[in-house]
Amino acid sequence: MGDPEPTGFFEAAPEAMARDADEPLVWFGDVHLAYDRPILKGVSFTLRPGTTKVVLGGSGSGKTTILRLILGLLKPDAGTIVVDGTDVGVLGEEEMRDVRLKIGMVFQEGALFDSLTVGENVGYRLSEEGEMEEEEIEARVREMLGFVGLATHYEKMPSDLSGGQKRRVAFARALVARPQIMLYDEPTTGLDPITATTITDLICKVRDLDGVSSILVTHQLRDAFNVARTFMIKKDDEYVTSVVDDIATLEGTEFMMLREGQVLFEGSPYELQTSTDPYIREFLS
Amino acid sequence: MAQSRTLAFLASLGRRVAQRFMESVLSLQEYMLLSWRGLVAVSTPPHYAREIVAQMDSLGVGSLSIVILTGMFTGMVLTLQSAASLDAFGARPYVGRLVCVSMVRELGPVLTALMVTGRVGSGMAAELGSMVVTQQIDALRVLGSDPVRKLVAPRLLAGIVMVPILTVISDTLGIFGGSLIGIFNLKLSWEFFWRSVGNALTINDLVMGLVKPVVFGFILSSVGCHMGLRTTGGTQGVGTSTTRSVVVASVLILSSDFFMTKLLLVLFPVT
Repeated sequence: MGDPEPTGFFEAAPEAMARDADEPLVWFGDVHLAYDRPILKGVSFTLRPGTTKVVLGGSGSGKTTILRLILGLLKPDAGTIVVDGTDVGVLGEEEMRDVRLKIGMVFQEGALFDSLTVGENVGYRLSEEGEMEEEEIEARVREMLGFVGLATHYEKMPSDLSGGQKRRVAFARALVARPQIMLYDEPTTGLDPITATTITDLICKVRDLDGVSSILVTHQLRDAFNVARTFMIKKDDEYVTSVVDDIATLEGTEFMMLREGQVLFEGSPYELQTSTDPYIREFLS
Repeated sequence: MAQSRTLAFLASLGRRVAQRFMESVLSLQEYMLLSWRGLVAVSTPPHYAREIVAQMDSLGVGSLSIVILTGMFTGMVLTLQSAASLDAFGARPYVGRLVCVSMVRELGPVLTALMVTGRVGSGMAAELGSMVVTQQIDALRVLGSDPVRKLVAPRLLAGIVMVPILTVISDTLGIFGGSLIGIFNLKLSWEFFWRSVGNALTINDLVMGLVKPVVFGFILSSVGCHMGLRTTGGTQGVGTSTTRSVVVASVLILSSDFFMTKLLLVLFPVT
Protein backbone atom coordinates (compact mmCIF):
# COMPACT_ATOMS: atom_id res chain seq x y z
CA MET A 1 0.00 0.00 0.00
CA GLY A 2 2.96 2.33 0.58
CA ASP A 3 3.26 5.23 2.99
CA PRO A 4 0.17 7.35 3.37
CA GLU A 5 0.35 10.87 2.08
CA PRO A 6 -0.69 13.61 4.53
CA THR A 7 -4.28 14.72 4.12
CA GLY A 8 -3.46 18.37 4.61
CA PHE A 9 -6.21 19.11 7.12
CA PHE A 10 -4.64 17.45 10.09
CA GLU A 11 -1.42 19.32 10.69
CA ALA A 12 -1.23 18.24 14.32
CA ALA A 13 -1.17 14.61 13.33
CA PRO A 14 2.64 14.25 13.30
CA GLU A 15 2.51 14.87 17.05
CA ALA A 16 0.30 11.85 17.39
CA MET A 17 2.34 9.81 14.91
CA ALA A 18 5.69 10.69 16.47
CA ARG A 19 4.86 9.07 19.78
CA ASP A 20 6.72 6.12 21.19
CA ALA A 21 4.78 3.12 19.91
CA ASP A 22 5.18 1.31 23.25
CA GLU A 23 3.86 4.18 25.33
CA PRO A 24 0.12 3.59 25.77
CA LEU A 25 -2.28 6.39 24.93
CA VAL A 26 -4.98 4.92 27.12
CA TRP A 27 -4.37 2.47 29.92
CA PHE A 28 -7.03 0.84 32.12
CA GLY A 29 -5.70 -0.96 35.18
CA ASP A 30 -8.17 -3.14 37.13
CA VAL A 31 -11.00 -0.60 36.88
CA HIS A 32 -14.13 -1.17 38.94
CA LEU A 33 -17.36 0.81 38.84
CA ALA A 34 -20.75 0.12 40.38
CA TYR A 35 -24.03 1.98 40.89
CA ASP A 36 -26.87 -0.08 42.24
CA ARG A 37 -25.21 -3.03 40.46
CA PRO A 38 -21.63 -3.65 39.27
CA ILE A 39 -20.96 -2.06 35.85
CA LEU A 40 -17.24 -2.78 35.40
CA LYS A 41 -15.45 -5.53 37.30
CA GLY A 42 -11.68 -5.30 37.01
CA VAL A 43 -11.34 -4.11 33.42
CA SER A 44 -7.77 -3.75 32.15
CA PHE A 45 -6.60 -2.92 28.63
CA THR A 46 -4.22 -0.73 26.66
CA LEU A 47 -4.64 1.45 23.57
CA ARG A 48 -1.38 1.89 21.73
CA PRO A 49 -0.63 4.87 19.44
CA GLY A 50 -1.89 4.49 15.89
CA THR A 51 -4.11 1.53 16.65
CA THR A 52 -7.84 0.98 16.91
CA LYS A 53 -9.46 -0.89 19.78
CA VAL A 54 -12.88 -2.29 18.91
CA VAL A 55 -14.94 -2.90 22.03
CA LEU A 56 -17.71 -5.42 21.46
CA GLY A 57 -20.39 -6.65 23.81
CA GLY A 58 -24.10 -6.89 24.40
CA SER A 59 -26.30 -4.16 25.83
CA GLY A 60 -25.41 -3.27 29.42
CA SER A 61 -21.99 -4.91 29.26
CA GLY A 62 -20.23 -1.63 30.14
CA LYS A 63 -18.93 -0.58 26.69
CA THR A 64 -20.10 3.03 26.77
CA THR A 65 -19.06 3.34 30.41
CA ILE A 66 -15.45 2.80 29.32
CA LEU A 67 -15.65 5.83 27.02
CA ARG A 68 -17.29 7.95 29.73
CA LEU A 69 -14.49 7.00 32.13
CA ILE A 70 -11.81 7.97 29.62
CA LEU A 71 -13.49 11.36 29.18
CA GLY A 72 -13.75 11.88 32.93
CA LEU A 73 -17.56 12.05 32.77
CA LEU A 74 -17.52 9.26 35.35
CA LYS A 75 -14.96 8.41 38.02
CA PRO A 76 -13.96 4.81 38.81
CA ASP A 77 -14.62 3.31 42.23
CA ALA A 78 -11.24 1.57 42.06
CA GLY A 79 -8.40 1.10 39.57
CA THR A 80 -6.38 3.44 37.40
CA ILE A 81 -7.18 5.15 34.09
CA VAL A 82 -4.29 6.85 32.36
CA VAL A 83 -4.83 8.98 29.24
CA ASP A 84 -1.68 10.20 27.52
CA GLY A 85 0.31 9.91 30.72
CA THR A 86 -2.30 11.57 32.97
CA ASP A 87 -4.25 9.71 35.64
CA VAL A 88 -7.76 10.98 34.86
CA GLY A 89 -9.36 9.14 37.77
CA VAL A 90 -8.11 11.77 40.21
CA LEU A 91 -8.57 14.91 38.11
CA GLY A 92 -11.22 17.54 38.77
CA GLU A 93 -13.50 19.02 36.11
CA GLU A 94 -11.21 21.99 35.42
CA GLU A 95 -8.09 19.84 35.02
CA MET A 96 -9.97 17.39 32.79
CA ARG A 97 -10.43 20.11 30.15
CA ASP A 98 -6.78 19.84 29.10
CA VAL A 99 -7.09 16.07 28.75
CA ARG A 100 -10.37 16.37 26.83
CA LEU A 101 -8.66 18.65 24.31
CA LYS A 102 -6.71 15.59 23.16
CA ILE A 103 -9.86 13.53 22.67
CA GLY A 104 -12.59 13.64 20.05
CA MET A 105 -15.87 11.93 20.88
CA VAL A 106 -18.62 10.85 18.51
CA PHE A 107 -21.68 10.25 20.67
CA GLN A 108 -24.40 7.76 19.91
CA GLU A 109 -27.06 9.65 17.88
CA GLY A 110 -24.56 12.52 17.49
CA ALA A 111 -25.60 14.66 20.49
CA LEU A 112 -25.62 17.80 18.34
CA PHE A 113 -26.81 21.01 20.01
CA ASP A 114 -30.38 21.59 18.78
CA SER A 115 -30.21 25.36 19.10
CA LEU A 116 -27.05 25.78 17.00
CA THR A 117 -26.53 25.47 13.25
CA VAL A 118 -24.36 22.72 11.79
CA GLY A 119 -21.49 25.20 11.39
CA GLU A 120 -21.82 26.43 14.98
CA ASN A 121 -21.94 22.85 16.24
CA VAL A 122 -18.75 21.89 14.42
CA GLY A 123 -16.93 25.07 15.43
CA TYR A 124 -18.18 25.00 19.03
CA ARG A 125 -14.94 23.85 20.64
CA LEU A 126 -12.85 26.36 18.71
CA SER A 127 -15.22 29.19 19.66
CA GLU A 128 -15.06 28.12 23.31
CA GLU A 129 -11.26 28.11 23.28
CA GLY A 130 -11.34 31.67 21.95
CA GLU A 131 -7.88 31.42 20.41
CA MET A 132 -8.92 31.72 16.76
CA GLU A 133 -10.54 34.52 14.76
CA GLU A 134 -14.08 33.89 13.54
CA GLU A 135 -12.91 33.75 9.92
CA GLU A 136 -10.32 31.11 10.78
CA ILE A 137 -12.91 29.08 12.66
CA GLU A 138 -15.32 29.24 9.75
CA ALA A 139 -12.60 28.15 7.33
CA ARG A 140 -11.67 25.19 9.54
CA VAL A 141 -15.31 24.22 10.01
CA ARG A 142 -15.98 24.31 6.27
CA GLU A 143 -12.87 22.17 5.74
CA MET A 144 -14.12 19.62 8.27
CA LEU A 145 -17.59 19.58 6.76
CA GLY A 146 -15.99 19.02 3.36
CA PHE A 147 -14.02 16.11 4.82
CA VAL A 148 -17.23 14.39 5.95
CA GLY A 149 -19.01 15.27 2.70
CA LEU A 150 -21.40 17.89 4.08
CA ALA A 151 -19.83 21.11 2.82
CA THR A 152 -23.17 22.55 1.74
CA HIS A 153 -24.85 22.01 5.10
CA TYR A 154 -23.08 24.78 7.04
CA GLU A 155 -26.19 26.88 7.71
CA LYS A 156 -28.63 24.02 8.34
CA MET A 157 -30.07 23.14 11.72
CA PRO A 158 -29.56 19.62 13.17
CA SER A 159 -33.31 18.99 12.92
CA ASP A 160 -33.00 19.29 9.12
CA LEU A 161 -30.46 16.44 8.91
CA SER A 162 -30.93 12.70 8.51
CA GLY A 163 -29.54 10.25 11.10
CA GLY A 164 -26.45 9.54 9.01
CA GLN A 165 -25.80 13.23 8.36
CA LYS A 166 -26.04 13.96 12.09
CA ARG A 167 -23.35 11.35 12.79
CA ARG A 168 -21.11 12.86 10.12
CA VAL A 169 -21.54 16.34 11.59
CA ALA A 170 -20.74 14.85 15.03
CA PHE A 171 -17.67 13.32 13.40
CA ALA A 172 -16.58 16.71 12.04
CA ARG A 173 -17.21 18.32 15.45
CA ALA A 174 -15.02 15.71 17.15
CA LEU A 175 -12.23 16.16 14.60
CA VAL A 176 -12.16 19.94 14.42
CA ALA A 177 -9.68 20.39 17.28
CA ARG A 178 -7.33 17.76 15.83
CA PRO A 179 -7.46 15.21 18.65
CA GLN A 180 -4.89 12.48 19.30
CA ILE A 181 -7.56 9.99 20.32
CA MET A 182 -10.99 9.42 18.81
CA LEU A 183 -13.77 7.69 20.71
CA TYR A 184 -16.79 6.34 18.85
CA ASP A 185 -19.90 5.30 20.75
CA GLU A 186 -22.04 3.06 18.53
CA PRO A 187 -21.51 5.37 15.52
CA THR A 188 -23.37 3.13 13.08
CA THR A 189 -26.26 1.92 15.21
CA GLY A 190 -29.60 2.53 13.55
CA LEU A 191 -28.10 3.42 10.16
CA ASP A 192 -28.66 1.60 6.88
CA PRO A 193 -25.67 -0.47 5.61
CA ILE A 194 -24.61 2.11 2.99
CA THR A 195 -24.61 5.01 5.43
CA ALA A 196 -22.88 2.82 8.02
CA THR A 197 -20.12 2.12 5.47
CA THR A 198 -19.70 5.89 4.96
CA ILE A 199 -19.11 6.23 8.70
CA THR A 200 -16.67 3.30 8.92
CA ASP A 201 -14.77 4.73 5.93
CA LEU A 202 -14.41 8.01 7.84
CA ILE A 203 -13.06 6.10 10.85
CA CYS A 204 -10.50 4.39 8.62
CA LYS A 205 -9.54 7.68 6.93
CA VAL A 206 -8.74 9.35 10.24
CA ARG A 207 -6.84 6.29 11.45
CA ASP A 208 -4.80 5.59 8.32
CA LEU A 209 -4.13 9.05 6.96
CA ASP A 210 -3.56 10.89 10.20
CA GLY A 211 -2.45 8.19 12.62
CA VAL A 212 -5.16 8.98 15.15
CA SER A 213 -5.72 6.22 17.69
CA SER A 214 -9.28 5.27 18.37
CA ILE A 215 -11.64 3.22 20.47
CA LEU A 216 -14.74 2.02 18.65
CA VAL A 217 -17.59 0.81 20.81
CA THR A 218 -20.14 -1.15 18.84
CA HIS A 219 -22.21 -4.28 18.70
CA GLN A 220 -22.39 -4.17 14.89
CA LEU A 221 -19.98 -6.95 13.92
CA ARG A 222 -20.14 -6.11 10.21
CA ASP A 223 -18.98 -2.55 10.85
CA ALA A 224 -16.33 -3.65 13.35
CA PHE A 225 -14.77 -6.02 10.79
CA ASN A 226 -15.10 -3.37 8.06
CA VAL A 227 -12.94 -1.04 10.15
CA ALA A 228 -10.40 -3.82 10.68
CA ARG A 229 -10.25 -4.83 6.99
CA THR A 230 -10.39 -1.46 5.26
CA PHE A 231 -7.34 0.71 4.67
CA MET A 232 -7.17 4.15 3.11
CA ILE A 233 -4.50 6.07 1.28
CA LYS A 234 -4.60 9.40 -0.52
CA LYS A 235 -3.25 9.55 -4.05
CA ASP A 236 -3.46 12.64 -6.24
CA ASP A 237 -6.15 14.22 -4.04
CA GLU A 238 -8.23 11.04 -4.23
CA TYR A 239 -8.91 8.66 -1.36
CA VAL A 240 -8.11 5.08 -2.36
CA THR A 241 -9.66 2.25 -0.39
CA SER A 242 -8.23 -1.23 -0.13
CA VAL A 243 -9.87 -4.16 1.62
CA VAL A 244 -7.81 -7.00 3.11
CA ASP A 245 -9.55 -10.33 2.62
CA ASP A 246 -7.20 -12.51 4.66
CA ILE A 247 -8.22 -11.71 8.23
CA ALA A 248 -5.17 -13.52 9.65
CA THR A 249 -2.87 -10.80 8.29
CA LEU A 250 -4.72 -7.83 9.76
CA GLU A 251 -2.71 -5.43 11.92
CA GLY A 252 -3.49 -2.25 13.80
CA THR A 253 -6.91 -3.26 15.07
CA GLU A 254 -7.52 -5.12 18.30
CA PHE A 255 -10.83 -6.52 19.44
CA MET A 256 -12.04 -6.65 23.01
CA MET A 257 -15.21 -8.39 24.09
CA LEU A 258 -16.99 -7.38 27.29
CA ARG A 259 -19.46 -9.54 29.14
CA GLU A 260 -21.22 -8.36 32.30
CA GLY A 261 -18.54 -5.77 33.03
CA GLN A 262 -15.57 -8.07 32.52
CA VAL A 263 -13.14 -8.52 29.65
CA LEU A 264 -14.04 -11.85 28.12
CA PHE A 265 -11.65 -11.63 25.18
CA GLU A 266 -8.84 -9.41 23.90
CA GLY A 267 -6.92 -10.09 20.73
CA SER A 268 -6.70 -9.78 16.95
CA PRO A 269 -9.69 -10.06 14.59
CA TYR A 270 -8.42 -13.50 13.58
CA GLU A 271 -8.21 -14.68 17.18
CA LEU A 272 -11.75 -13.43 17.77
CA GLN A 273 -13.09 -15.21 14.74
CA THR A 274 -11.41 -18.47 15.67
CA SER A 275 -12.30 -18.30 19.36
CA THR A 276 -14.01 -21.37 20.78
CA ASP A 277 -15.65 -19.53 23.69
CA PRO A 278 -19.40 -20.38 23.54
CA TYR A 279 -20.51 -16.79 24.28
CA ILE A 280 -18.26 -15.37 21.55
CA ARG A 281 -19.40 -18.06 19.10
CA GLU A 282 -23.02 -17.11 19.84
CA PHE A 283 -22.21 -13.41 19.50
CA LEU A 284 -20.51 -13.95 16.14
CA SER A 285 -23.19 -16.21 14.74
CA MET B 1 -46.82 -17.18 59.86
CA ALA B 2 -49.00 -14.07 59.77
CA GLN B 3 -46.65 -12.38 62.21
CA SER B 4 -43.59 -13.07 60.06
CA ARG B 5 -45.44 -11.71 56.99
CA THR B 6 -46.27 -8.54 58.92
CA LEU B 7 -42.65 -8.19 60.03
CA ALA B 8 -41.42 -8.69 56.46
CA PHE B 9 -43.90 -6.08 55.22
CA LEU B 10 -42.82 -3.59 57.90
CA ALA B 11 -39.16 -4.22 57.12
CA SER B 12 -39.77 -3.67 53.42
CA LEU B 13 -41.76 -0.51 54.16
CA GLY B 14 -38.98 0.74 56.43
CA ARG B 15 -36.36 0.11 53.73
CA ARG B 16 -38.42 2.00 51.14
CA VAL B 17 -39.01 4.95 53.48
CA ALA B 18 -35.30 5.06 54.34
CA GLN B 19 -34.37 4.87 50.64
CA ARG B 20 -36.83 7.65 49.77
CA PHE B 21 -35.50 9.77 52.62
CA MET B 22 -31.90 9.28 51.43
CA GLU B 23 -32.88 10.17 47.86
CA SER B 24 -34.55 13.36 49.11
CA VAL B 25 -31.51 14.32 51.17
CA LEU B 26 -29.24 13.64 48.20
CA SER B 27 -31.47 15.67 45.89
CA LEU B 28 -31.48 18.58 48.37
CA GLN B 29 -27.71 18.39 48.58
CA GLU B 30 -27.43 18.43 44.77
CA TYR B 31 -29.86 21.37 44.59
CA MET B 32 -27.88 23.40 47.14
CA LEU B 33 -24.63 22.63 45.35
CA LEU B 34 -26.05 23.56 41.93
CA SER B 35 -27.53 26.78 43.31
CA TRP B 36 -24.22 27.76 44.88
CA ARG B 37 -22.25 26.96 41.72
CA GLY B 38 -24.86 28.84 39.68
CA LEU B 39 -24.56 31.95 41.86
CA VAL B 40 -20.76 31.79 41.67
CA ALA B 41 -21.01 31.53 37.87
CA VAL B 42 -23.42 34.50 37.78
CA SER B 43 -21.04 36.67 39.77
CA THR B 44 -17.74 35.73 38.10
CA PRO B 45 -16.57 35.88 34.46
CA PRO B 46 -16.69 34.56 31.81
CA HIS B 47 -20.35 35.15 30.98
CA TYR B 48 -22.27 33.94 27.95
CA ALA B 49 -23.88 37.22 26.85
CA ARG B 50 -25.86 35.65 24.01
CA GLU B 51 -27.37 33.04 26.34
CA ILE B 52 -28.20 35.66 28.97
CA VAL B 53 -30.03 37.87 26.46
CA ALA B 54 -31.88 34.86 25.04
CA GLN B 55 -33.03 33.74 28.49
CA MET B 56 -34.09 37.23 29.52
CA ASP B 57 -36.07 37.52 26.31
CA SER B 58 -37.69 34.11 26.83
CA LEU B 59 -38.46 34.65 30.50
CA GLY B 60 -39.22 38.37 30.46
CA VAL B 61 -40.68 39.37 27.11
CA GLY B 62 -42.20 35.94 26.56
CA SER B 63 -44.11 36.08 29.86
CA LEU B 64 -45.33 39.66 29.45
CA SER B 65 -48.79 38.85 28.09
CA ILE B 66 -49.76 36.32 30.79
CA VAL B 67 -48.38 38.58 33.54
CA ILE B 68 -50.36 41.57 32.23
CA LEU B 69 -53.56 39.57 32.03
CA THR B 70 -53.04 37.95 35.44
CA GLY B 71 -52.20 41.25 37.15
CA MET B 72 -55.04 43.17 35.61
CA PHE B 73 -57.78 40.64 36.31
CA THR B 74 -56.49 40.01 39.84
CA GLY B 75 -56.66 43.76 40.59
CA MET B 76 -60.17 43.96 39.14
CA VAL B 77 -61.46 40.95 41.12
CA LEU B 78 -59.74 42.16 44.28
CA THR B 79 -61.44 45.55 43.96
CA LEU B 80 -64.86 43.97 43.48
CA GLN B 81 -64.45 41.58 46.43
CA SER B 82 -62.91 44.18 48.74
CA ALA B 83 -65.61 46.72 47.96
CA ALA B 84 -68.31 44.20 48.89
CA SER B 85 -66.65 43.61 52.29
CA LEU B 86 -65.78 47.26 52.93
CA ASP B 87 -69.35 48.37 52.18
CA ALA B 88 -70.46 46.59 55.37
CA PHE B 89 -68.39 49.13 57.33
CA GLY B 90 -69.09 52.07 55.04
CA ALA B 91 -65.43 52.05 54.06
CA ARG B 92 -65.76 51.75 50.26
CA PRO B 93 -63.52 54.82 49.65
CA TYR B 94 -60.57 52.88 51.13
CA VAL B 95 -60.77 50.21 48.45
CA GLY B 96 -57.90 51.75 46.46
CA ARG B 97 -55.64 51.64 49.49
CA LEU B 98 -56.47 47.99 50.14
CA VAL B 99 -56.03 46.88 46.54
CA CYS B 100 -52.74 48.70 46.15
CA VAL B 101 -51.15 47.31 49.32
CA SER B 102 -52.41 43.78 48.61
CA MET B 103 -51.09 43.83 45.06
CA VAL B 104 -47.69 45.29 45.86
CA ARG B 105 -46.94 43.33 49.03
CA GLU B 106 -48.43 39.96 48.20
CA LEU B 107 -50.47 39.15 45.14
CA GLY B 108 -48.27 40.75 42.51
CA PRO B 109 -45.05 38.92 43.50
CA VAL B 110 -46.69 35.56 44.22
CA LEU B 111 -49.01 35.36 41.22
CA THR B 112 -46.33 36.60 38.82
CA ALA B 113 -43.88 34.01 40.13
CA LEU B 114 -46.44 31.21 39.88
CA MET B 115 -47.38 32.16 36.31
CA VAL B 116 -43.74 32.38 35.25
CA THR B 117 -43.04 29.04 36.96
CA GLY B 118 -45.79 27.40 34.93
CA ARG B 119 -44.62 28.95 31.68
CA VAL B 120 -40.84 29.17 31.97
CA GLY B 121 -39.75 26.98 34.92
CA SER B 122 -41.33 23.97 33.28
CA GLY B 123 -39.69 24.90 29.97
CA MET B 124 -36.27 25.09 31.62
CA ALA B 125 -36.71 21.61 33.11
CA ALA B 126 -37.92 20.21 29.78
CA GLU B 127 -35.12 21.81 27.75
CA LEU B 128 -32.30 20.78 30.07
CA GLY B 129 -33.88 17.35 30.59
CA SER B 130 -33.94 16.78 26.83
CA MET B 131 -30.29 17.84 26.65
CA VAL B 132 -29.42 15.30 29.35
CA VAL B 133 -31.19 12.36 27.70
CA THR B 134 -29.73 13.18 24.26
CA GLN B 135 -26.20 13.45 25.76
CA GLN B 136 -25.89 17.14 24.84
CA ILE B 137 -24.81 17.96 28.42
CA ASP B 138 -22.05 15.35 28.15
CA ALA B 139 -21.09 16.81 24.77
CA LEU B 140 -20.85 20.28 26.33
CA ARG B 141 -18.45 19.00 28.98
CA VAL B 142 -16.39 17.08 26.45
CA LEU B 143 -16.13 20.17 24.23
CA GLY B 144 -14.75 22.23 27.09
CA SER B 145 -17.82 24.05 28.45
CA ASP B 146 -19.06 24.17 32.00
CA PRO B 147 -22.81 23.36 31.81
CA VAL B 148 -23.45 25.38 34.97
CA ARG B 149 -21.84 28.48 33.50
CA LYS B 150 -23.31 27.95 30.05
CA LEU B 151 -26.86 26.84 30.93
CA VAL B 152 -27.67 27.43 34.60
CA ALA B 153 -26.11 30.87 35.23
CA PRO B 154 -27.96 32.66 32.36
CA ARG B 155 -31.28 31.18 33.55
CA LEU B 156 -30.65 32.16 37.16
CA LEU B 157 -29.72 35.69 36.12
CA ALA B 158 -32.79 35.95 33.90
CA GLY B 159 -35.02 34.81 36.79
CA ILE B 160 -33.45 37.17 39.34
CA VAL B 161 -33.64 40.20 37.02
CA MET B 162 -36.82 39.64 35.02
CA VAL B 163 -39.27 38.38 37.68
CA PRO B 164 -39.02 41.66 39.69
CA ILE B 165 -39.56 43.66 36.47
CA LEU B 166 -42.57 41.51 35.57
CA THR B 167 -43.86 41.93 39.11
CA VAL B 168 -43.72 45.74 38.87
CA ILE B 169 -45.66 45.52 35.60
CA SER B 170 -48.17 43.14 37.18
CA ASP B 171 -48.60 45.43 40.23
CA THR B 172 -49.13 48.47 38.04
CA LEU B 173 -51.63 46.74 35.81
CA GLY B 174 -53.41 45.26 38.86
CA ILE B 175 -53.88 48.67 40.45
CA PHE B 176 -54.89 50.12 37.08
CA GLY B 177 -57.49 47.35 36.65
CA GLY B 178 -58.72 48.02 40.18
CA SER B 179 -59.05 51.72 39.39
CA LEU B 180 -61.15 50.93 36.33
CA ILE B 181 -63.57 48.90 38.47
CA GLY B 182 -63.48 51.58 41.18
CA ILE B 183 -64.43 54.31 38.73
CA PHE B 184 -66.88 52.54 36.41
CA ASN B 185 -68.42 50.01 38.77
CA LEU B 186 -68.07 51.45 42.27
CA LYS B 187 -68.58 55.07 41.18
CA LEU B 188 -65.43 56.33 42.92
CA SER B 189 -63.62 59.31 41.43
CA TRP B 190 -60.43 58.68 39.49
CA GLU B 191 -58.57 61.28 41.50
CA PHE B 192 -59.73 59.93 44.85
CA PHE B 193 -58.78 56.37 43.96
CA TRP B 194 -55.27 57.24 42.87
CA ARG B 195 -54.72 59.64 45.77
CA SER B 196 -55.59 56.86 48.21
CA VAL B 197 -53.16 54.60 46.34
CA GLY B 198 -50.42 57.19 46.65
CA ASN B 199 -51.12 57.73 50.34
CA ALA B 200 -51.18 54.00 51.08
CA LEU B 201 -47.85 53.02 49.54
CA THR B 202 -44.81 53.29 51.79
CA ILE B 203 -41.20 52.52 51.15
CA ASN B 204 -41.60 49.36 53.28
CA ASP B 205 -44.29 48.10 50.91
CA LEU B 206 -42.02 48.67 47.94
CA VAL B 207 -39.10 46.89 49.63
CA MET B 208 -41.28 43.90 50.43
CA GLY B 209 -42.75 43.92 46.93
CA LEU B 210 -39.31 43.91 45.31
CA VAL B 211 -37.34 41.59 47.59
CA LYS B 212 -39.82 38.75 47.22
CA PRO B 213 -39.72 38.51 43.40
CA VAL B 214 -35.91 38.39 43.44
CA VAL B 215 -36.08 35.29 45.66
CA PHE B 216 -38.98 33.83 43.67
CA GLY B 217 -37.09 34.34 40.41
CA PHE B 218 -34.12 32.51 41.86
CA ILE B 219 -36.32 29.66 43.12
CA LEU B 220 -38.18 29.04 39.87
CA SER B 221 -34.98 29.13 37.76
CA SER B 222 -32.84 27.04 40.09
CA VAL B 223 -35.54 24.41 40.61
CA GLY B 224 -36.20 24.23 36.84
CA CYS B 225 -32.47 23.77 36.14
CA HIS B 226 -32.00 21.26 38.96
CA MET B 227 -34.94 19.11 37.89
CA GLY B 228 -33.85 19.26 34.25
CA LEU B 229 -30.24 18.33 34.92
CA ARG B 230 -31.12 15.32 37.12
CA THR B 231 -33.45 13.85 34.49
CA THR B 232 -33.15 10.12 33.96
CA GLY B 233 -35.17 7.61 31.99
CA GLY B 234 -35.47 9.09 28.50
CA THR B 235 -38.41 11.13 27.24
CA GLN B 236 -40.66 9.83 30.01
CA GLY B 237 -38.15 11.19 32.51
CA VAL B 238 -38.32 14.61 30.82
CA GLY B 239 -42.08 14.70 31.42
CA THR B 240 -41.62 13.72 35.07
CA SER B 241 -38.95 16.39 35.60
CA THR B 242 -41.15 19.04 34.02
CA THR B 243 -44.13 18.25 36.26
CA ARG B 244 -41.96 17.96 39.34
CA SER B 245 -40.25 21.29 38.69
CA VAL B 246 -43.59 23.15 38.57
CA VAL B 247 -44.89 21.44 41.73
CA VAL B 248 -41.69 21.88 43.75
CA ALA B 249 -41.09 25.48 42.64
CA SER B 250 -44.73 26.46 43.33
CA VAL B 251 -44.66 24.95 46.82
CA LEU B 252 -41.29 26.56 47.55
CA ILE B 253 -42.53 29.95 46.34
CA LEU B 254 -45.65 29.80 48.52
CA SER B 255 -43.84 28.52 51.62
CA SER B 256 -40.91 30.92 51.27
CA ASP B 257 -43.45 33.73 50.85
CA PHE B 258 -44.74 33.04 54.36
CA PHE B 259 -41.30 33.03 55.95
CA MET B 260 -40.14 36.07 54.00
CA THR B 261 -43.27 37.96 55.01
CA LYS B 262 -42.62 37.14 58.68
CA LEU B 263 -39.03 38.30 58.38
CA LEU B 264 -39.76 41.42 56.35
CA LEU B 265 -42.55 42.47 58.71
CA VAL B 266 -40.00 42.45 61.50
CA LEU B 267 -37.36 44.27 59.47
CA PHE B 268 -39.76 46.68 57.77
CA PRO B 269 -42.87 46.98 59.96
CA VAL B 270 -46.13 48.35 58.58
CA THR B 271 -46.43 52.01 59.47
